[in-house]
Amino acid sequence: MADDAIFDKKKSHHAKRAGRKADKKKKKTAVDQSNLSARQRNPKAFAIQSAVRAERQFRRREDVISKKQHIPQVDKTPLEPPPIVVAVVGPPRVGKTTLINNLIKSFIKTNVTSTNGPITIVTSKKRRLTLIECNNDVNSMIDIAKCADLVLLLCDASFGFEMEIFEFLNICQVHGMPKIMGVLTHLDMIKNAKTLKTTKKTLKHRFWTEVYPGAKLFYLSGIVHGEYLRNEIKNLSRFISVMKFRPLSWRMTHAYILADRLEDVTSQEVIRKDSKVNRDVVLYGYVRGVPLMKEATVHIAGVGDMKISELSYLPDPCPLPSREKKRHLMERERQIYAPFSGVGGIVYDKDAVYIELLGSHSHKQEDEETNEKKALIKNVVETKETLDEQMQESGFKLFSGGAVIYPDMVKDDEYLQNDNQEDSDSSGDDDVNDESDSDSGIDESGKDGDENKLPWDNNSGSEAEGAEQENGDDKKSDQEENSDDDTDYNTKWKEKLGEKATMAYFERQKTSKNIMKLVYRDYEIGNKNKEQKEDGSGSDDEEIGGLFKKVTSTEKKKHKQKEQQDVDECSYFYSSGKPNLKDWTNETNKQFLMKNFVTGKRLPDEDASELLKLDDASDGDEELYGDFEDLETGEKHINKDVSNEETNNEASGIKRKGEPTKSDILEKKLKLKAKFDSEYDNPDDHRIKGDHSYYESLKAEALKQSELNKSVFENLDSGLRVEVEGFRPGLYVRMLFKDMPSEFVTNFDASYPILIGALNMAEQNIGFVSCKVKKHRWYKKILKTNDPLIISLGWRRFQTLPIYSKIEDDLKCRYLKYTPEHVTCNMHFYGPITPQNTGFLALQTVNNNPNEIKQLGFRIAATGSVNEINKSTQIVKKLKLVGTPLKIYKKTAFIKDMFTTTLEVAKFEGARVKTVSGIRGQIKKALNKPEGAFRATFEDKILMSDIIFCRTWFKVDVTKFYAPVVNLLLPAGSKNAWQGMKTKGQLKRERNIQNDANTDSMYTSIKREPKVFKPLVIPKALQKGLPYRFKPKERTTTLSGVKAKDIFKDRIAVIKSPHEQKVSNVMKMLKTNFEQKKEKEKEATAERLQKHKKQIEEEEWRKLKRQKELKKKICRHLSKMSNKKKPQM
Amino acid sequence: MPAIIKDDVLVYKGSNLFRQRLLLSVLSGRAIKIEDIRSNHDDPGLREYEVNLIRLIDKITNGTRVELGETGTSMYFQPGILVGGQVTHSCCTQRGIGYYLEVLLAVGPFCKEPLNAVLQGVTHHDLDVSVDKVKLAALPVLLKFILVDDGLELKVVRRGAPPLGGGEIVFRCPVRRHLRPLQWTKWGLVKRIRGVVYALRVSPTFANRVVESAKGVMLNFLPDVYINTDQCRGPNAGKSPGFGVSLVAETNEKTFYCAEAKAEEVGSGEISLPEEIGRQCALKLADEIYRGGAVDSSFQWLLALWMALGQKDVSECVVGPLSDYTISFLQHLKEFFGVMFKLEVLRSELDDSDEEDDVVDANKVKMTCVGIGYVNISKRTM
Repeated sequence: MADDAIFDKKKSHHAKRAGRKADKKKKKTAVDQSNLSARQRNPKAFAIQSAVRAERQFRRREDVISKKQHIPQVDKTPLEPPPIVVAVVGPPRVGKTTLINNLIKSFIKTNVTSTNGPITIVTSKKRRLTLIECNNDVNSMIDIAKCADLVLLLCDASFGFEMEIFEFLNICQVHGMPKIMGVLTHLDMIKNAKTLKTTKKTLKHRFWTEVYPGAKLFYLSGIVHGEYLRNEIKNLSRFISVMKFRPLSWRMTHAYILADRLEDVTSQEVIRKDSKVNRDVVLYGYVRGVPLMKEATVHIAGVGDMKISELSYLPDPCPLPSREKKRHLMERERQIYAPFSGVGGIVYDKDAVYIELLGSHSHKQEDEETNEKKALIKNVVETKETLDEQMQESGFKLFSGGAVIYPDMVKDDEYLQNDNQEDSDSSGDDDVNDESDSDSGIDESGKDGDENKLPWDNNSGSEAEGAEQENGDDKKSDQEENSDDDTDYNTKWKEKLGEKATMAYFERQKTSKNIMKLVYRDYEIGNKNKEQKEDGSGSDDEEIGGLFKKVTSTEKKKHKQKEQQDVDECSYFYSSGKPNLKDWTNETNKQFLMKNFVTGKRLPDEDASELLKLDDASDGDEELYGDFEDLETGEKHINKDVSNEETNNEASGIKRKGEPTKSDILEKKLKLKAKFDSEYDNPDDHRIKGDHSYYESLKAEALKQSELNKSVFENLDSGLRVEVEGFRPGLYVRMLFKDMPSEFVTNFDASYPILIGALNMAEQNIGFVSCKVKKHRWYKKILKTNDPLIISLGWRRFQTLPIYSKIEDDLKCRYLKYTPEHVTCNMHFYGPITPQNTGFLALQTVNNNPNEIKQLGFRIAATGSVNEINKSTQIVKKLKLVGTPLKIYKKTAFIKDMFTTTLEVAKFEGARVKTVSGIRGQIKKALNKPEGAFRATFEDKILMSDIIFCRTWFKVDVTKFYAPVVNLLLPAGSKNAWQGMKTKGQLKRERNIQNDANTDSMYTSIKREPKVFKPLVIPKALQKGLPYRFKPKERTTTLSGVKAKDIFKDRIAVIKSPHEQKVSNVMKMLKTNFEQKKEKEKEATAERLQKHKKQIEEEEWRKLKRQKELKKKICRHLSKMSNKKKPQM
Repeated sequence: MPAIIKDDVLVYKGSNLFRQRLLLSVLSGRAIKIEDIRSNHDDPGLREYEVNLIRLIDKITNGTRVELGETGTSMYFQPGILVGGQVTHSCCTQRGIGYYLEVLLAVGPFCKEPLNAVLQGVTHHDLDVSVDKVKLAALPVLLKFILVDDGLELKVVRRGAPPLGGGEIVFRCPVRRHLRPLQWTKWGLVKRIRGVVYALRVSPTFANRVVESAKGVMLNFLPDVYINTDQCRGPNAGKSPGFGVSLVAETNEKTFYCAEAKAEEVGSGEISLPEEIGRQCALKLADEIYRGGAVDSSFQWLLALWMALGQKDVSECVVGPLSDYTISFLQHLKEFFGVMFKLEVLRSELDDSDEEDDVVDANKVKMTCVGIGYVNISKRTM
């Protein structure tokens, strides 16, 4: 046999090395040069020539890359996204409705008779659209800009862009720019081909400057039979269906709903009694943005803040097609849903069925019979709701003294069945089981719990078959629980011996199975009201042996509550006293704890030695002690231990967590190698690459988060999921609002969008908002402080009284009376608290009075964003207090008239004051005599004529005025004429009030008296020292200013008689003689005196001489005496 | 006990969980009303330490309005905006500083200006977490949410034992616009144990005896055990005598478990031996480690709070068995913020094999929630 094998051995294949086949093969395997890049073909040419240049190139490339990078955001689009809101915006008579009709026709091949309100259609396997037309009201434009994902901006090409378009674009910029596509219509009105071309071009470029260069602008060249050209519409619809969207920050933090259906569920009887009574209104729509929390407060734009009193989701009225492997949509899957417009077929809802009468029926000729029928139908249609309501309201009792059953409960049979089942359970089982029933958890037997609580969950009918199965499940889980509880009971019995603390601990351990129930037991889950639940719990009130009444759970709860009501709060695990701790040093306990330490035994997938072993195993088949076959002997050696271990592993495979198999490891290794290859030897590209690992890691983190967001609640049952996660975007929800103003329903107009925006935490509160604002450069007027302004901020539109201010260099907010032009300033107003950096726009009026619009031109007065929120403001205004001196001492002065009371002065003690001439001083203390006067010291003596200023700051308060724009409540015709508070100017103009002129500001002729100066008086001592030319020459210094010569001018000359002359001559002579004599005497006296002086001097001299000689004598004598004494010494 | 909502004001009964309610009210901006405050007690109305807490909250907020009822047994509280900044507060000595510090810690990241608070009072108290515990175990949790530590600091300047206190701490906390979502499902294994023993106005040998016994227990598990002694002198030792110990266990995933024990007050009549204190603390720490989870059991509620106040993303953490305090906190979170946690009990794999053993592995609870998208509305932007 062996020989045969040798002979049968086939010749091995030799590949051809030459010849035609070999050539062919070579050609086939050769690298195709045409596909290679230049760099690959000729790598040498791209080698680095200059290091500097290469560095520069590299830097530039990195700059470009980093410019493109954005902070990665977590993608929050759900698996089944809500329909995309496509808004059609444009001035009147531009072809908006025609475009919507054409688009619907192109997408779902049906004609729509009337378009009103949002229209939802399914356009492809993964996409739905909500088309909505924006009417020509600035309120609607604002609301549409806040919710639209894509805007089709229609423009009449024959006319050009109108102000509305620019206004709308501005609104969009402020509230988060949606995608914008321009559409030019009425192109057929331009007959001349050349003008058409230039018009298109100019309009295109204008559009680009507004949106972004290269923005898509469509041309709808004309209307044929009242419709746009089919291929143009087709083209447009293709663009719409492949459009991608960027997340906008406001909508990524707030849930919102564009309501597409409205119902008034107020009892008709109540309305009949009082037509103005507040209504209960149900609104429907798709949740968009982020999940909507159940107890959220929402703002309905145009109505005000509302609390959702009931929120539930409904089966999607316009569902995406089921996952079938087909590329195209089936005809029946092309659905349309538009309750306001009256299209679509029969719609089933929670509490109503709608039958749409086709358009052809309504065009039938009217005769009496049809009239009658119509009346009947009308009757039915009108009263239907009432009946429904009555049904809702009316309950009935099966047994006397039994629970009242409401239609809500009847609707889902499962609920009843389940109830019965539970009842039988509880009656059949003993106490323990009873306990277990009441304990049934959300966690373990979640379905069971939910069926009790979420009746609407099973409403859709499609789940009917599922229900039975679920019931089966319930039974099973019940049984399981029973067995669980048996064991629990045993352990409980033991525990009674333990201390209280440990018991509590174990109790927690036991109940932790239903931990969610433990925590959230007191809260309603789903739609059911609390009362109904309590009714249910009331039924377990039973008697034992006819004597003792079992303590009901409600009583127990109450008792417990009372016990807990005033307990001291403590965040420790064992909240009070010393816990009975286990002795962890005990050997058995210690072993148990040991695995929590690094020194203990680890899990198999973490243990280093275990991992090493595995690594060895995977490293190859050439194991040292593994199993191998001896080729010579054909004997197989199997490592017994290993095989044993393997079998063990298989047995405990479930327990061992994630033990990697060989293939797994191989795969991992391959992946690692691929990664290494891609990083290090990139054959086709030898460029130096920058390190973007930080950005990549951020991106990966965001991606991981978004995957987690999508996947983490996937397996949770829908009722609980909604509770934990909120109503995720894409769900169709029904919201009940209680106490809505009746005008909302009676004046309802579907052409106005109903935007319901959820408010996050603290956003329903009102406070002082400070923001930065800039007057729009197209707005003609400047804005005045405290003039009412309508602000669109967040979801809201409201009127308020803003104060403008400027931040000074010392961070003080200084009050401004008017907005400055061309620069931003600060604005403070009293309004809803909104997160920082939210954009807003301001209007002075939302009235659509054409005259007013014409006068204004551009209606958006200002734009800006929120800076800060606070509960108080610090805006100050300059204030100068003026006073005059009362009395002046050297550098101290008493000032009056600055203050009125001593108290005021006391407040300003130490304040700096200043005179007009610039002498600075300080306020010291109040005087008691004239009230309000004070003592102040100055750096110099001030004058009585000085005026003293004290410069201070005066706090300006922001007026607490906030009025939401409630345009949806206005009557149908005048919805666009909301009038809020008027400005003072407006009121004065209306009532023809004119200000009284300020007399101080009036012009009068000024009389000026010439100034009289005091004469210059030079003191005599000073005059003496002056050089002659400065000396005053004449004594002209009389008060009257008359010269000395002139004094005597008017006097009469005195002429003497001869006798008199004689007498005066004699007198003169006598006088001269006397004077001569006196002079002589004087001279003689002087001579005599001199002589006498000389004599005295001589005498003195002699005396002195004598004394000197005497002194000499004495001194000589003294010296002699001293000389004599010396030698003796 | 669930609140009754009366025109958007949450009405509660009883003084229990007063701090939680105030705290959540400040954060959510919703007004609360508390009725029947110790209405059946001999001294009805708010205690001194609760009034003191209101004072502290008033200091760090702007626009808070508090109205007390005529009898003093009901209170209406309308919160203002969190301002933060420089705060000095002398806490009531009936409770420890921890009572107040936990509030500051919870609201710290959401203030207008970075918080710089000086708190004076009792640093170690039986009812409240000590400042050491907050420093060692709670700050790392906050760090996980704010990621970058720019000025998060807790400094114990002086220690003070009850009843007179005299301790002082400085707490600094940076502000954030929003918190990150956190996924923290692994807590690792304990790799080192540290501790501090303080002795105030007692013999220094007390501290050494505590160290000896605490170390003796912990060395059974891990060789890496170091315990410092903090022997305070003079004014740093506060006004009353006392001693105690805090032990902290750090895992290789940066989870910190902390346990503490302290001597009884002087006047209480009981005498506590240092050895007993050390052993007690070590056992508490072992208990804490046994319970496991990503955070210390005393700070589960802080973790839950910061998870709930995250962005609209999923956060998930695994903690040890929920304490009663955490459970009531979760209920309050539901009432104030409408946020509900998904709670799952994770069963360890080795469970069934040890069924007959009376020691079962502590059940870990996986908490999952979607943040409410809370942003710090008080922060200023330029």
